[in-house]
Amino acid sequence: MTYLFDPANWEWLVTGNNLRFLLEGFLVNLQIAVIAIVFSLIFGLLLALARLSKLRPLSLAAGAWVDVWRNLPLIFIILYLFLASPPAWTDAYEDYAPGFLPDALQTGRVFAGLLGLVLYNSAVIAEIMRAGILSLDRGQGEAAAALGLTYPQQLRYVILPQGLRRMVPATVSQLITLNKDTTLVSIIAIQEVMRHGRTLTSGFGVFTGVDVQAPLLQVFIFIGLLFVIVNYALSRLSRRLEIRERKRSGGAATPVIGLEDQTALAAEAR
Amino acid sequence: MTRMKLWRALLAMALAVTALAVAGCGDDDDDDGGGGGGGGGGDQPAEAQQFPADTTMGKIQEKGEITIGVKFDVPPFGFTNPQTDEVEGFDVDMGRILAEELGVEPRFIEAISDNRIPFLERGTVDVILSTMTINQERDQEIDFSEPYYVAQGRILVPGDSDIAGLEDLAGNSVCTALGSTYEETLREDAPDAELRLVDTYSECLELLQNGAVDAISTDDVILTGMIIQDDTLKLVGDELTTEPYGAGIKDGDTEFQKFVSDTLEAAQADGRWEEIYQEWVGQYVDQPQPPPEMTLEEALELGG
Amino acid sequence: MAELWEVLTDHFPEFSSGFWVTVRLVAISFVIAMAVGTLVAAMRIAPAKPLNWLGGLFVEVFRNTPLLVLLFISFAGLRRAGLPIDAWVAGTASLGLYTAAYVAEALRSGVFAVGKGQIEASLSLGLDYRRTLRYIILPQAFRTVIPHLGSLTIAMIKNSAIIGVSLLALPDLLKQARIVQSRTFETNETFFWAAVGYLILTGLATIAVRRLEARYAIRR
Repeated sequence: MTYLFDPANWEWLVTGNNLRFLLEGFLVNLQIAVIAIVFSLIFGLLLALARLSKLRPLSLAAGAWVDVWRNLPLIFIILYLFLASPPAWTDAYEDYAPGFLPDALQTGRVFAGLLGLVLYNSAVIAEIMRAGILSLDRGQGEAAAALGLTYPQQLRYVILPQGLRRMVPATVSQLITLNKDTTLVSIIAIQEVMRHGRTLTSGFGVFTGVDVQAPLLQVFIFIGLLFVIVNYALSRLSRRLEIRERKRSGGAATPVIGLEDQTALAAEAR
Repeated sequence: MTRMKLWRALLAMALAVTALAVAGCGDDDDDDGGGGGGGGGGDQPAEAQQFPADTTMGKIQEKGEITIGVKFDVPPFGFTNPQTDEVEGFDVDMGRILAEELGVEPRFIEAISDNRIPFLERGTVDVILSTMTINQERDQEIDFSEPYYVAQGRILVPGDSDIAGLEDLAGNSVCTALGSTYEETLREDAPDAELRLVDTYSECLELLQNGAVDAISTDDVILTGMIIQDDTLKLVGDELTTEPYGAGIKDGDTEFQKFVSDTLEAAQADGRWEEIYQEWVGQYVDQPQPPPEMTLEEALELGG
Repeated sequence: MAELWEVLTDHFPEFSSGFWVTVRLVAISFVIAMAVGTLVAAMRIAPAKPLNWLGGLFVEVFRNTPLLVLLFISFAGLRRAGLPIDAWVAGTASLGLYTAAYVAEALRSGVFAVGKGQIEASLSLGLDYRRTLRYIILPQAFRTVIPHLGSLTIAMIKNSAIIGVSLLALPDLLKQARIVQSRTFETNETFFWAAVGYLILTGLATIAVRRLEARYAIRR
């Protein structure tokens, strides 16, 4: 116990460049999360629409796609893409990656990480969106039809806005999970916070003239804290949004719960 | 109105993250900068020989930078310095010699044991300098330069361990890297040892220091690098294997292979090799080593 | 095509041992998650404020920390601090506690679904708080949240893959696939079979959940 709180073991935090080094790594994780969530939302929406489509082959194909990616471990997907990405794609990534991204995100390996995250999360988000849309009262769609709106118009003006608003809390919850999942890219040697933490705890200090070798327990507890702070803030945001949504729709809305990779179809839980 | 506020808040957050990113980028002006190469920094020796545009050397010169795959966590050959955010080491300095010869900036990316060959094949890197042992199996997929360093396989154990050699490994756990030559060697020569395979040697060191494994087996320089970090560890046993290191080059690119071999040999002849050796290895070991005299053919015969 | 089958037949022992290690990992973690999750849920709904707070702390810490960080702390971190914890214990404890936080939240929502009326009725019948919890509330809460718990189990199966390729290096299915791949370089084939393995596990879990749902679930 004393080991945990011994100030000598926390000295590394204020020595040299260590804190900044860790935070720079953490920034890489956050950036990966932001990029991945943006693309996952786009593809998730497309997949959800495909799933809800009236065309059977399309909805079946989309359904199969979503089921496969949702049921595979994310680390599996990332590792596979890392070992098997065609060079053409990784090269294209390196050529087109915007210059303002830090070095760690410029390497072709990040492509495997991002693609894996997007493939997986777009499938999960597609299910969240589908649940959100389905949770809408049938009456809405029928009323819209009675007013003379075509199906695409119904989607655009009535169903999607309400359905998508429903799933904002679940999406923020998925963003939290995504944040945590960004640590997985450390396994394919991307220089993010986990890797930076490992560098700090290694004995490289003897080569670099810094006397303090950061102890592993403290470094990773600190890294854990970084994540807890950011994710907790996000979860509070999600709860606020949920409350706001309840107020807006007068309490009749059944919010879609997003728990670690799953959506409870509102129909099922009530 | 409240909806607008929400969107504005999210937009503000996104902008803040991006702004941090840009700000964070502004400070680093290191050699391993992406997308752009040469520019203002670094020295451009006036006497860098210009190569024809259709050779690999020419293409690299046109790009203005050479991409070198090195280890990021294997001192003293390639490791990140958290204080400067740059990668340093023996292999890194060898890479700088190549870059200097071409008159371009070096760019270092991390090449771990089991992806360095695919990186070379795909052209993600131009050359590999990451403690890679020359052997016939690898020679079928890529080409090697002449050996630029000769290491020996050894075993590393905690200072108070009873293990004194290969035979004692039976019944104990020994750690080495996935995809390294030691995986094979240990399976053959120490079949009763429990093999723990990990991605990087820094993980092996962590496991050894933790007590989770009893020994690590790999090249002696890597093990020396570990001893430098933790002097309670000791090397035991006879030399298991001889490991000549070669620079990895894409299969079939004989011009580039010649260029790399010639450049590295020149460095061995004119004292640069010794300087680099002294800085990274020599000062820590009792018996300093001279530059390697082995040829590529001899190295290939050894490995098998 | 022939390579696909060859990879499986030549390396069947590796794949099979990896598969069973994954099964063991998930089974042990499942038990930990359910036990600890129930305990924490009970703390969260207890009438004592400090218990609520403690339970809440557990949930927030374990839900918001990445599993990989937990693995490092529990294995490398604790060992360095002097506690000789073994890779299996660290791995199953991390995965179990991580999932327990989600189980606790799921049960809590299940308890709310059971409704105040039942609690009040039970208390007025003379059952004390503990017995109320044990015989009235929790059984119903469990049955309400079977679908949630089912998908948490599937999440556990997927998360178990992280343990093998982390520092803990337990020889689970994904790790074994990596080892075979690093020897044969047949990336597509080895990962195909590993995927098959994981889909079998998640498929079986899905079927089991549907069966349990059909028999026991309470719909509210």
